[in-house]
Amino acid sequence: MPNADEMLDRLFRAARNEAPGGASLEFAFETRVMARLRDDASAGLFTWAWKLAPFFAALAVAAGLWSRSASAQADAIATLISEASRTQAEAALVSYLTGGR
Amino acid sequence: MTAALAISPSLPGLSTAAMSEAAPPTDETLVAATLAGDEAAFSELIRRHKRRVFGTASRFARNDHQIEDIAQEAFIRAFKNLQNFRHDAPFEHWLARVTISACYDFLRREKKHRATARLDAVEFDLRDLSSERDLSARRAREVLAWAMKRLRPEEQLVLTLCEIEERPIREVSSLTGWSESNVKVRAFRARQALKQILCDHAER
Repeated sequence: MPNADEMLDRLFRAARNEAPGGASLEFAFETRVMARLRDDASAGLFTWAWKLAPFFAALAVAAGLWSRSASAQADAIATLISEASRTQAEAALVSYLTGGR
Repeated sequence: MTAALAISPSLPGLSTAAMSEAAPPTDETLVAATLAGDEAAFSELIRRHKRRVFGTASRFARNDHQIEDIAQEAFIRAFKNLQNFRHDAPFEHWLARVTISACYDFLRREKKHRATARLDAVEFDLRDLSSERDLSARRAREVLAWAMKRLRPEEQLVLTLCEIEERPIREVSSLTGWSESNVKVRAFRARQALKQILCDHAER
C-alpha cells in the first residue's frame, strides 16, 4: 500500500494530464446560448402572465358583480320613475275631471 | 473579423468604416455594446471565451451533457449580470468567477443524486495506484471522481482548483470569494477527507 499522500499526488497528477473536455460541444454553442436566452425571456413573460392570472380573474369577477348591481339599481330607478310619472299622470287626469284645473 | 464587422454598426461612437480598419473590438467594448442591446456582441463574447469555460466545466462534470449545461448556465448568468461587471478587472476574470459559481451550484445539485448513487459503481484496487505508469489519466479521473463524490461541494471545488488545476491560492480566493487563509484551511481539510475516503476503501 503506497503512502496516502503520495497516492493522492499521483492521482492528481494523472488527472491533470487528461485534456479538458468539451471540444465537441463548441460547434454553434453561441447560437444555442442565445436561443436559450430568448426562450428564457419569453418564458419569463409567460410566467408573469400566469402569476397575474388570479388578479385578472378577481378583477373580472368584481367587474361582473359591479355591473350586475349597477344594472339592478338602474332597473329600480327606472321602475320608480315610470311609477312616479304614471301616478302623476293619473293625478293630473283626476284633477282635470274634477275641475280642479 | 466577420463577427466584428457584423456588430460594428451598433458599437457606440464608431463608424463602420473606422471599425473595418481597426483591430477587433475589445471585450469591454463588446460588453458595452451588449448592454446597449446588441445581441451579436454577446454572441461574439461567447465565441471568444467558450473554450476556457468548457475547460473549467469539464473539471467538474462527468459527461458532455453536464459540461454543456454548466457552460450555458455560466454564460446566461454572465448575460443577466453584465451590468454588475465593473471594468476594474479583465472581462475573462469576471467570467471565470461566474463560471466557478455555476460549477459550485452544479456540485451542490449533484450532491443529492450522489447520495443515492451506487458507491461501488467504480471499483478499484488501491494497489493499482502504486505504479504511476499503469495509471492512465482516465482511470485516475474515475478513481478521483468516485472519491470526490463523497466530499462536500466546497471540498470538491477547492481540491479541483488547487490540486488539479494548480491555481495559486490568491486566484482561488478571488474566484471563490473566500479569504486566502480560508482557502488554505478548506484545501487542507478536503485533502485529509479525500485521503480518509481512499484509505477506508482500501481497508474494506
